[in-house]
Amino acid sequence: MASRKKVLLKVIILGDSGVGKTSLMNQYVAKKFSNQYKATIGADFLTKEVMVDDRLVTMQIWDTAGQERFQSLGVAFYRGADGCVLVFDVTMPNTFRSLDSWRDEFLIQASPRDPENFPFVVIGNKIDLENRAVSARRAQGWCHSKGDIPYFETSAKEAINVEQAFQAVAKNAMAQESDVELCSDFPDPIKLKDDQAKPRENCAC
Amino acid sequence: MSDISRSHEYLSFRSTIPQRKIIVDDDNSKEWTLYEAGPKTVKSPLICFPPASGTADVYFRQVLGLSALGYRVIAVEYPIYWTMKEFVEGFRKLLDHLVLDRVHIFGASLGGFLAQKFAEHSCRSQRVASLILCNTFYDTTIFQQTNSAPTFWMMPAVYLKKMVMGSFERRATEPEIVDSIDFMVEKLDGMSQQALASRLTLNCMNCYVEPQKLRDVDILLMDVFDECALSSGVREEMCKCYPEAKRAHLKTGGNFPYLSKSTEVNVFLQIHLRKYDMGPYRARELTENELQLLSEADGTLNKSS
Ligand SMILES: Nc1nc2c(ncn2[C@@H]2O[C@H](COP(=O)(O)OP(=O)(O)O)[C@@H](O)[C@H]2O)c(=O)[nH]1
Ligand SMILES: [Mg+2]
Repeated sequence: MASRKKVLLKVIILGDSGVGKTSLMNQYVAKKFSNQYKATIGADFLTKEVMVDDRLVTMQIWDTAGQERFQSLGVAFYRGADGCVLVFDVTMPNTFRSLDSWRDEFLIQASPRDPENFPFVVIGNKIDLENRAVSARRAQGWCHSKGDIPYFETSAKEAINVEQAFQAVAKNAMAQESDVELCSDFPDPIKLKDDQAKPRENCAC
Repeated sequence: MSDISRSHEYLSFRSTIPQRKIIVDDDNSKEWTLYEAGPKTVKSPLICFPPASGTADVYFRQVLGLSALGYRVIAVEYPIYWTMKEFVEGFRKLLDHLVLDRVHIFGASLGGFLAQKFAEHSCRSQRVASLILCNTFYDTTIFQQTNSAPTFWMMPAVYLKKMVMGSFERRATEPEIVDSIDFMVEKLDGMSQQALASRLTLNCMNCYVEPQKLRDVDILLMDVFDECALSSGVREEMCKCYPEAKRAHLKTGGNFPYLSKSTEVNVFLQIHLRKYDMGPYRARELTENELQLLSEADGTLNKSS
């Protein structure tokens, strides 16, 4: 029987400040939304357990802002990322135009093994607002040109489509993960410990 | 000698940070060993508690890495204490001696257990600002050694070392993890029978933490998703015990992530400590630049959209 190793997925949220990165993360993890705008200082992360194809997966979601000036966390922030969510605000065209540089920045810093197929997801946020300025068509066009990145339109405020967007990034990240597992040269060793009724813990080290 | 012991980084640690010995008990043989770096003006430093097999220098990557960012970090090594009471009172005396009212404690394995016990002991006096617990537990009965623990003091060192060694992951393939094990084996080898026996006694003697006494303590739970001495069941128990605690998971790291994945561990420590930056329990001095940015964020940007 194949072993069910516990999986940790590291997901990074990028995008211009004010597009709703922190709100999306809070909506997804804590189901909370606040109109109060407090600029994110430095980086922070939240953890959420999700089911992906019947498998329990722990998602570690990283949010950032103002890194350059505040206690830079350097490449450690991007290192080992399994997925990346690029966010823009559908009412602010300039935030959409920034997606290119956010994607490039990520690929340079994280330097994933297979950049062409890295699991990105693009989110057009704040669709609850009236003054929309970037059409779905335009956004989809960009996503298509970058290797068919999945595109989601969300509202962190009204909790529209947020689950779906993060679920998609988890699912795609998992698909990559299993590719790697299959290539692994090391067979999973037989573990006796888990079969015992009440295993004795190894005396801590 | 292990690769880490020979590394430039470790050698420079030993040549720049003096080792201090402090006695706070009436018994002159009870010596605390300390390595300290960072600004003395900081009154709530990060104190690092080693695991059973570790000496204070197992945290050299936290001492170096975090002090470079302005943190005051003190890695300690316990004297030969045989009871939990002796330990918690001894550590309180050490804090008094260092004139530290409230500290943040980072503890791994036994170090994490001791950190919880100290927080529990001092829950009225509030000597603990926050805890960062790595690969640890809250009840010693999981080791099923409570019956033999009282006899550890007379066991030969070889026997005790074997007990600890048996829990080191031998199948590790990541070079950083292999190096961290080599380094820890070396530390374990250098320990006296009494030192090791006393730590294993604290580690295995029937004792548990009452989590309700730690309700008001800010806790970060750090653990690894690969193999380590503690089973995933025990790690999950920790999370259940502290449901409010934030969780910092590492994909890999083995038993000693503070050595093998120090960059990631230090990032988690930084993020955890950052919320204290502007308050009385800050663990570091901020730069001019950062102070300005924080006051901007608190003032002008804090408006409703
Ligand atoms: N109307 C609306 N406002 C939002 C939405 N998401 C975020 N906001 C607001 O946009 C502002 C910036 O959000 P924030 O999450 O801090 O952006 P960040 O800088 O990207 O982290 C805040 O005032 C939020 O309340 C949304 O979906 N709809
Ligand atoms: Mg933000």
